Amino acid sequence: MSGQNTYNQSANLLSRLNRKAFLLRAGIGLTAAIAGGYLFNRKRSAKTAHIKGSIIGANAKIGHLLRDKLSIPEPSTTEEIEYLIIGGGISGLAAARELKRQGISSFKLIELDNHTGGNSSKGKNEISAYPWGAHYLPIPDPSDSSIISFLTEIGCITGFSPEGLPIYNEYHLCFDPEERLYIRGQWQEGLIPNLGLSLEERTEIERFFKLMEYYKTAKGIDGKYAFAIPLKDSSSDPTFINLDKISFITFLEKEKFRSKHLLWYLNYACKDDFGSTLNETSAWAGIHYFASRKGKAANAKNGDLLTWPEGNAWLAEQLRSQVADHISVNSVAFNVSVNNDSVLTSVYNTVDHKSKIIKARKVLLATPQFVNQRLLHEVNSDRSTSVYEQFSYAPWMIANITIHQLPVSKGIGLCWDNVMFESDSVGYVNACHQHVNQNENKKILTYYLPLTGKEPKIQRLVAFTRSYNDWVDIVCKDLENSHPGITEFIETVDIWIWGHGMVRPNPGFIWGEAKRMASQPINDKVFFAHTDLSGISIFEEAFHQGIAAAKSMTSTETHNGNS
Amino acid sequence: MRPNRFHLLLLFSVFVVATCGLIYELVAGTLASYLLGDSVTQFSTIIGVYLFSMGIGSWFSKYFDKNLLSWFIQIEILVGLIGGTSSTLLFFLFEQTESFRLVLYMMVMLTGIFVGLEIPLLMRILENRFEFKELVSKVFTFDYIGALLASVIFPLLLIPHLGIIRTSYFFGLLNIGVALVVLIQFSKEINWFKRLQFQAFVSLLLLLAGFVYADRIMSFTESMAYPDKIIYAKTTHYQRIIITKNQRELRLFLNGNLQFSSADEYRYHEALVHPGLAALPYAKNVLVLGGGDGLAVREILKYPNINRITLVDLDKEMTSMFTQNSMLANLNKHSFSNPKVKVINADAFTWAKSHTAQFDFIVVDFPDPSNFSIGKLYSNRFYQEIEKLLSPEGIVVIQSTSPYVAPKSFWCIDKTLQSVGFNTVPYHVYVPSFGEWGYVMGMKKHDYQLPANFPAGLKYVNRESLKQMIYFPADMAKVPTEVNKLNNQVLVHYFEDEWAKYL
Repeated sequence: MSGQNTYNQSANLLSRLNRKAFLLRAGIGLTAAIAGGYLFNRKRSAKTAHIKGSIIGANAKIGHLLRDKLSIPEPSTTEEIEYLIIGGGISGLAAARELKRQGISSFKLIELDNHTGGNSSKGKNEISAYPWGAHYLPIPDPSDSSIISFLTEIGCITGFSPEGLPIYNEYHLCFDPEERLYIRGQWQEGLIPNLGLSLEERTEIERFFKLMEYYKTAKGIDGKYAFAIPLKDSSSDPTFINLDKISFITFLEKEKFRSKHLLWYLNYACKDDFGSTLNETSAWAGIHYFASRKGKAANAKNGDLLTWPEGNAWLAEQLRSQVADHISVNSVAFNVSVNNDSVLTSVYNTVDHKSKIIKARKVLLATPQFVNQRLLHEVNSDRSTSVYEQFSYAPWMIANITIHQLPVSKGIGLCWDNVMFESDSVGYVNACHQHVNQNENKKILTYYLPLTGKEPKIQRLVAFTRSYNDWVDIVCKDLENSHPGITEFIETVDIWIWGHGMVRPNPGFIWGEAKRMASQPINDKVFFAHTDLSGISIFEEAFHQGIAAAKSMTSTETHNGNS
Repeated sequence: MRPNRFHLLLLFSVFVVATCGLIYELVAGTLASYLLGDSVTQFSTIIGVYLFSMGIGSWFSKYFDKNLLSWFIQIEILVGLIGGTSSTLLFFLFEQTESFRLVLYMMVMLTGIFVGLEIPLLMRILENRFEFKELVSKVFTFDYIGALLASVIFPLLLIPHLGIIRTSYFFGLLNIGVALVVLIQFSKEINWFKRLQFQAFVSLLLLLAGFVYADRIMSFTESMAYPDKIIYAKTTHYQRIIITKNQRELRLFLNGNLQFSSADEYRYHEALVHPGLAALPYAKNVLVLGGGDGLAVREILKYPNINRITLVDLDKEMTSMFTQNSMLANLNKHSFSNPKVKVINADAFTWAKSHTAQFDFIVVDFPDPSNFSIGKLYSNRFYQEIEKLLSPEGIVVIQSTSPYVAPKSFWCIDKTLQSVGFNTVPYHVYVPSFGEWGYVMGMKKHDYQLPANFPAGLKYVNRESLKQMIYFPADMAKVPTEVNKLNNQVLVHYFEDEWAKYL
């Protein structure tokens, strides 16, 4: 899971829905969840009673403040400033960094949580730091100068080879061994199923990757790469963007890909990067996953990853430290209004319980659209409810598991990324993998479960209904399949629920109208940056979103909404 | 019951009983050889004691007058129980008991006596049902066939596939099986049916559990891996330390890998220290990473110009053992108690990363790169940390596994050192208990000159032997390799491939 998103609570779930049908579906989902809780919860005491922990995030209370606006006092003071950035995820932080790089000092970034980073957040205990969300960055395309210069200034790139290729800090490159898959009772190297596959299936898998190699270098009639990062640099040649209109599974059927193992792998990949399944993902997005990465380095190969014990929270921290003086945390924006010469933002401080108005010349909303919808309800714009309804977000559950021993299992040993064939989860990452010290038995495993299967709204409701015990049962049951006996070695399980973990690139969304409309600045005063305006939730998109929006905000040219 | 079936069943019992009896004897002999060494003596005395005990059993058989069938079943259960658990008990008691031999021979005698009772009792049960010559012929035929079977399958099938612990449980189960079958078939002739049935079932469960959990039992008792007597065994937070001893030498094993033998460790440690340190007459400050046995420090202390030695070893238990235990401290000449020596128990990589002080000579003496965790300590990043800690004129030396067995691994270490800017001097030495062993010296600039003087009293390293050491004949010649990095860990892959052929 990579990407960013600050707000995580469901917004006004029940409005604007086909109420009856929704209630019925929600009822079924909830009944199942509650009944499941009753049936399985009772049993927890025996095998998992020793496991400590709790659901520690996300903080639902702050999110609901925005939705319900209960107990928010009227603003009493006004603060004036040139630029205001709302939202301290990667987009907002990257925008703030861009303002600073332009030599601007009169700006502020407000964040509702008590820390910035969005879903590049982290936790820490005596064993290690660990991620609560996004956890890696593939080495970028050397021609992506803004990311390359950022990685250079933070010491992640230590120099350049004579050919001009970046040399990466090898403490940040993912150590070997990187990935393994549990299949047919043992762990194989790599995530693409290999063990015990027929020749026919192998040939088909090879054919798929050959096709992706073609898309990797394919260019449209406009001379641009068909699949690029940032996504907005991709070719708009209809040959390629028409792929956005169909689902990935339709594309695969058309191309006669039928191997069960290949389809499992591709579904896993979609869940991992988009939180959606093969039939919920657009074919364009599915191909983008395999064809967009053009990373090159002097000391790493295409596809190699940068990672840290705390995941992308490390990158978020590098961004934050560059603009720390401009950041106010615990600050919830609850209304935005546009005047002739300024934008007024009402902000509530969740610590001193006071509200104020921040009067800024321009405002950048680095927040997801379901939040923008509430913030902007007084602002006249072309945005209609139907625009917002096109945005769909995948709920996620992340568990950080402390174990004091990993039971021995067949096949290769613990890797950085460990995936189980046909599991609902997308596996777990060893948070201690990048430690250089000798192995200690205690480890933290970060377990990722995208909540797919039902529509996101229902999954979200179900997720917030589940008790801590239910989640522990789900995690242990899944891990027991590949690690029999692991439950007794688990010391703690902490749970984080991301109600809106990442935007989902449903068919038609990425190259659709809604995304374009929602990206338009309003009156050259209100600007937007968020991965949901890209359609895929990865660090690079957030970073470019933030920089592009900051640039367009400070640009001297007048904007008339058609940029 | 028809007489035919009856006879067959009892004769089959003879066959099983005979097989089991011989297996227990073989188990005891094998175990004694494993644990005490000197297999000829062990097998010879075990067989002698066992046969003699069978004689005692046979002699005792005349005191059994009534309820022969019940007694037979009772003895079967006892044999199964004692024989089945014998290997576990012996392994377990080996680490606990002072006089292991006494326990061993007591067990062997007990099993022997019971097995010795079996055949005479069976013959008497059968005596009225066969003609005497028929009886003797049949019983002994089956007895010897059983013995043949046991002696063939024990080394060929049982030890390689079941292991010694499972084998004894398995035959224990067979004994109990015979007891149960006889018990049920002859239930009307048995006097203590209930009691015997209960005993049989309890024993059956016990042996089954032992059979299933044999692996766990085995991990308790890995002693089999060690040819000599184990005089010390301890699991620390980081590793399993085993010290074995025979008349000639003391051996230290970490996680089952030989670290040194007291008989020839001087070769290893002289070669580790002197080629580098003797070339640095002005060296004052030395760092040792790993080497918790203090033997490298012993060699370093032979230089009066050295006034400070810092040793960083992960395992506190290891360094304390080599400080406090007098037998071990004698080996390293009490080097850890020397005021020039400072012992730090820390992770070497983390320590190196967070320190900046410079050293004139650095000894890197880690276990071989057999897993990804240790592999990190042979990476270019680690050597870059070492480069930072080495004074401009200094030398670092790395123990680099065997250039003969694992040439790619050895030359990979050489290449990795070069990749971070070191000039290297690889060399090797023959250590009888290890085989041909390799080291790589790294230095920042100066060309390496063979030292003119060495400390007095060295047993192996001098100017002449060093000339041989830096010469690599064709069978250990340099091979092309990649640089070992954290994100490729090629060394661990080379090492696994190369050593796999030897194990």
